[in-house]
Amino acid sequence: MKRISPIDIAGGIIVVAILALAPMFAASNYLTGVLTVCAIYGIWASSWDFMSGLTGRENFGHSLFIGTGAYTAGFLSSIWSASPWISLPLGVVIAIAFSLLVGFPTLRLRGPYFALAMLSASAILQRLCLIFWEYTGGEEGLYGLDPLIKNPLHYYWFVLAILAVTVIALTLLAQSHWGLLLRAIRGDEATCQAAGINVTFYKIVSLMISAGFAGLGGALYAHYQLQVSPPLFSVVVSITVIIMVYVGGIGSIYGAAVAAILLTLLTEMLRGFGEYRLWIYTLTLMLILFFLPNGLIAPLWRRMTERFR
Amino acid sequence: MLQILIYGAVSSAIYAMLAVGFTLIFGVARILNLAHGSFYALGAYAAYVLTSLLGVPLFIAAPLAVLIVAGFGVVMERFLVRPLRSSQLAVLMITLAVSLAVEQALFITFGSEYRNVPSFVADKLSIGGVDISGQRLLALVAGVLVLLGLWLFIQRTRLGAAILAVSQDPEAAQYMGIPTNRIFSIVMAISAGTAALAGVLVSPFLTVQPTMGLLPMVKAFAIVIVGGLGSIPGSIIASLILGYSETIVAYLISSSWTELVSLVAVVVTLMIRPSGILGRRAAF
Repeated sequence: MKRISPIDIAGGIIVVAILALAPMFAASNYLTGVLTVCAIYGIWASSWDFMSGLTGRENFGHSLFIGTGAYTAGFLSSIWSASPWISLPLGVVIAIAFSLLVGFPTLRLRGPYFALAMLSASAILQRLCLIFWEYTGGEEGLYGLDPLIKNPLHYYWFVLAILAVTVIALTLLAQSHWGLLLRAIRGDEATCQAAGINVTFYKIVSLMISAGFAGLGGALYAHYQLQVSPPLFSVVVSITVIIMVYVGGIGSIYGAAVAAILLTLLTEMLRGFGEYRLWIYTLTLMLILFFLPNGLIAPLWRRMTERFR
Repeated sequence: MLQILIYGAVSSAIYAMLAVGFTLIFGVARILNLAHGSFYALGAYAAYVLTSLLGVPLFIAAPLAVLIVAGFGVVMERFLVRPLRSSQLAVLMITLAVSLAVEQALFITFGSEYRNVPSFVADKLSIGGVDISGQRLLALVAGVLVLLGLWLFIQRTRLGAAILAVSQDPEAAQYMGIPTNRIFSIVMAISAGTAALAGVLVSPFLTVQPTMGLLPMVKAFAIVIVGGLGSIPGSIIASLILGYSETIVAYLISSSWTELVSLVAVVVTLMIRPSGILGRRAAF
């Protein structure tokens, strides 16, 4: 069992410090905005990694939780004009409710049911958003949300702090007895069951945790964009998150967060490629599956810091 | 009433063509093909390119489109899926990547606007006072014929017996001298071909656009879960159940609610009988 060594903590502090200070050097709202999106993707990727990376149950519809969190914020803020601070906790609660809805019937089963059900549920919810356009605003979605914090730079720092808390909390959980059990489930579910571990319970609770953080990220995203629209539920969002985790190194959590930040920056640089962007993304995924099945960021970091451990 | 009966049969036939291919490749090769919907979309687009852009006559274009997509399926299985077959997760990831790549490629080449494919049969028929376009009827007839042909092929031919053998125990089949890898290629071709045929047949009366594959694939998942993963008769029964209940919901309540039918069916099935109606192995 690998523990967190001082070098990991030092590395984490340096990365967070660089990210926090980055907007000071090139003071532009554009850069701050991009970095905010980077941090939000970091929350989504690390929350995906916590459930699917540790238990090995691939969640192909993380956008379901992201979208429900964001739409909760959308309804609360734009229709019922509630305070933006209420939408964060409620976004978490609603996302967790959806995770129970999908997780309860599917996670007690073996086989691909969970992956299929998550993919279907997110696709169907996106469709429902379009069908019930009277309530959800259809293609255009809901807009006119209130910002959480007016100053974009302060909002960026707030999101970055939440990302740091997310990564620390999930890493500690993953290193705990609890995380060990999740890893054991990934290794051999039948043996775990034979050892008297309530496998289903652990899987469902870890999905709830994952969904909660994803919903939080969704609500943060909604209050950054100040609008929500059906593409938040799309398969593309889910697959983007999964690619980030794969690049980061599955099951490492911090790797997923770093990869999310780097890939979002890269995407921003590739904006010139327009519609070819997603192509480049899927191609990256195929190449990684074939040549780097363990990912890039986490193995690289481990090798670089080997002698300091 | 008769209207429900006929329209339900048409959508059941289309669902069955999609679901049978999906369950076949899972049952035989244990490949959960998330790119199945893109075969359907590719079929429709191939029909569009051949007829509207190249001016190939319809009755040549349709089989040609099916063949092209079947070839695409075989190439995908051979070069992308087979090297990763040892890991179920990698297979899921690579097929999902293929489906996105196809969707994006269609989007880049053809744009997001709807495309039109000419009808195969222009006449409208009237059965017992219900008007139905010849194209829908053709989809129904073709669906039934394809399923019947597939059943005969698997039950009556040597190749079909080999496919059955591989689905029951791939290792034992290999020891008996059955070339499993070639069987996988053949099954992939059949699976991609039936999905493409469904796409070709619906292209005149549904909208042809890059994301058209996703929702039918979700329906295919639902059908296969309700019918039992890997069971062909199960998926045909489930196609009938789903096709008819969607049509009934559309007539009695509103077509908006049809999308929920498959979701409810999946949840209920997984709660009550996770292995599906005719699943061979318990899913627990």
